[in-house]
Amino acid sequence: MKLLTHNMLTSHVKGVVKGYPLVIKATEVKVNELEFNAQFVSRMIPKLEWSALIQAAEWLGQSQDLPSTLIPNYEKDEDFLRKVHRILLEVEVIEGCLQCPESGREFPISKGVPNMLLDEGE
Amino acid sequence: MESSMDRLKCVRRSKEEKKLLRRQIKISHTLLKHEGINTVSHPTKHLVVSNGGLGNGVSRESLLEVLKEGGTVESLLTPPAKPYAFVTYSSIEACQNAYTFLNGRALQCQEEQSVTIYFSYVEKVDSDRSVPCALPPGLLVLEDVVSPEEELQLLHAVDWTPHTDDVTVDSDRSVPCALPPGLLVLEDVVSPEEELQLLHAVDWTPHTDDVTVQKALKHRRVKHYGYEFRYDNNNVDKDKPLPDGLPAECDALLQRCLADGHISVLPDQLTVNQYQSGQGIPPHVDTHSAFEDTILSLSLSAKTVMDFKHPDGRSVAVVLPERSLLVMKGESRYLWTHGITPRKFDVVPVLEAGGSGVMTSDLSNLTLSRRGTRISLTFRKIRHTPCSCAYPSACDSQRLPPPPTVPVAEGDACRLESQYVHQVYEEISSHFSSTRHSPWPQVRDFLLSLPPGSVLADIGCGNGKYLGINPEVMSVGCDRSANLVQICIERGHEGFVSDALSVPLRSGSCDACISIAVIHHFSTQERRQAAVRELIRLLKVGGRALIYVWAMEQEYNNQKSKYLKERTTGTSMENGKELKTEENKTNQPEKHDRKMSSDIKCTEDGFGNVTQPRIHVHTNRTAFLSQDLLVPWHLKGNADKNKGATSSSTDVPVDKTSQSPVFHRYYHVFQQGELEEMCFSVAGVKVLRRYHDQGNWCVELEKTHYTSSKDDIAQEKV
Repeated sequence: MKLLTHNMLTSHVKGVVKGYPLVIKATEVKVNELEFNAQFVSRMIPKLEWSALIQAAEWLGQSQDLPSTLIPNYEKDEDFLRKVHRILLEVEVIEGCLQCPESGREFPISKGVPNMLLDEGE
Repeated sequence: MESSMDRLKCVRRSKEEKKLLRRQIKISHTLLKHEGINTVSHPTKHLVVSNGGLGNGVSRESLLEVLKEGGTVESLLTPPAKPYAFVTYSSIEACQNAYTFLNGRALQCQEEQSVTIYFSYVEKVDSDRSVPCALPPGLLVLEDVVSPEEELQLLHAVDWTPHTDDVTVDSDRSVPCALPPGLLVLEDVVSPEEELQLLHAVDWTPHTDDVTVQKALKHRRVKHYGYEFRYDNNNVDKDKPLPDGLPAECDALLQRCLADGHISVLPDQLTVNQYQSGQGIPPHVDTHSAFEDTILSLSLSAKTVMDFKHPDGRSVAVVLPERSLLVMKGESRYLWTHGITPRKFDVVPVLEAGGSGVMTSDLSNLTLSRRGTRISLTFRKIRHTPCSCAYPSACDSQRLPPPPTVPVAEGDACRLESQYVHQVYEEISSHFSSTRHSPWPQVRDFLLSLPPGSVLADIGCGNGKYLGINPEVMSVGCDRSANLVQICIERGHEGFVSDALSVPLRSGSCDACISIAVIHHFSTQERRQAAVRELIRLLKVGGRALIYVWAMEQEYNNQKSKYLKERTTGTSMENGKELKTEENKTNQPEKHDRKMSSDIKCTEDGFGNVTQPRIHVHTNRTAFLSQDLLVPWHLKGNADKNKGATSSSTDVPVDKTSQSPVFHRYYHVFQQGELEEMCFSVAGVKVLRRYHDQGNWCVELEKTHYTSSKDDIAQEKV
């Protein structure tokens, strides 16, 4: 699971109001190399919940001096974009779980795949 | 008419004698009226003994003992289930003796009650029908007075032409004297000492376990060794062997059976049944998929009679003596049912040699046998591969389970989808993925039309074939099948496992969503609608969704879809080949279910109860005959074994010709306009396009405004 995906995921446990972001508890993390596409990354940034991304990076120990708030004119900052590219698309959680911040319900991540299925009645 | 008789008659009759005579006369009338037995007043060698029959609990032995007092008995006929018997004495004198002195005698019968027997003379005893052959005076029966043609004419004239309904098979009158094919009864297979050892080894001392077993089975008591036999599905938990194997005391007997060639492998399952007098077991065939061919059943402590029935109505009763072994093989194991009628007595033949054999119609040789408590030890070998016997009509491996019905309640819908969608895709994921590689052109166009930087969610992404189409777009897929999502990840895409009715993505987080060949797997209108609502929830305002579902109308504008066009004629399309068509592609044609048309609709019984229509199996590559179907998938290759599929492959029906497992996927195919109609009922949605594409109904939607879930419900009710 990449952090770009994590940024979109939320807890859908019944009755939960504050289910975002899901807490990442990773036991195995991989960093891949992916071709850098500055345009793609800068287009992604406005779609993100920036604070959730920073939080996720922290949980994985991959903060890498990313600013806690978005800097203006980030589209021109290649250095910045490369950092975002890395954290967003190259860091991958292989094993671990995602935890609902309100209910504590854990969703397992196995072989890079989060299983978000709820049981009947949840 | 003889003077000696007159002399006897001259003796003064006492009050009791008069009473006796009255009774006798009454009985004579009854015999004539109900049984057609004609009694005569003059002495003959033959007597009918009223109240002295097998049918009223009088055994042959006890009757014979009394009859001998009259004189030498030449023959005694005891028709089963009749309250009388016929005795023939060696001379008229002996017969008269019996008549005089035994009339009105009390006899002990089986139930510790006593009956009073009465004698009447009869002219002749017909041992075949136990009916005397004298016709009433003046009576004649002329046979073959009309030819069969004249018979039909006359019947037609009075409007009684026979048709199939009138034909009844009176299976009681059929008299097969042969054992069912494959059946053997081996007598004295264990000595009395071994019998005691075995009884001790299976130990009937009651303890708490037995209480629960007894509760479950209201009748006979049962115990299992090796594997637990389950009475809810008449099968065995093959993955849960019981800790102890078969008792060691059984080894000697089983080794002997092996040595004598009755079995080729040692059994690994034992069921011990205790049948008390009055207990039995209903007729059944031992589940084909649970056990291998030969089944051995050892009878201890008492004998019994086991009834075997063939599907065509033939019935054979087999005596199983104490310490005998029943060997059921082939047809007798796979096709004939066997059962024990719950009774306290059996009618058995009296044979010099032993006590086994079939029932005969020889009425001169029958008696009653009171049931004792019998312990049966049934030895079976667990089957680990599907059954491929020659009797598919009785075979659960080769025969499909009864078709499910269209669900109404949410719970039933979930269960149906779990069995006929989720579990199936998990099992077939690799093979399925190999047949899904080319994107539908119009879906590709939709994806390529998305602005760069869009966020796309593919809800029901399968193997992820649409996730990489547009590299400018951030694509994430989700599917119910973990195995399929795994394939997405292996291909470098992003995905997670989720249900389409509850997607864990934030509302309004997607610029576009696609749902290609997904919603047709939901089994109720409510669930299909909920799936559309979920897609809309994910979209931001102005976002677009594309939905594809299978169309009932596979032909549109006189053009057959690829699905119909590529009709195979027996040869299968192997997964090795490059497959040209997409979603609708499945492999071999299957036998068509003829009952389909009659129960497509809901039917209502006389009490106003509506039964849901059945979901029938569809024949691949033919037009859809109803909207709710099971579509076969013939699995090729066993790559799925590593994927941790949960269902045991031995319980999946197998295609007889190819021996490959057949899976059934549930589909609700959409009629023209149905998808659109459904989308209209969802709040905040505008239909941009609707079209037919290669056997699919398709809609492109736009989210026009934000709605809360409450709005959706209100909208639906309008």
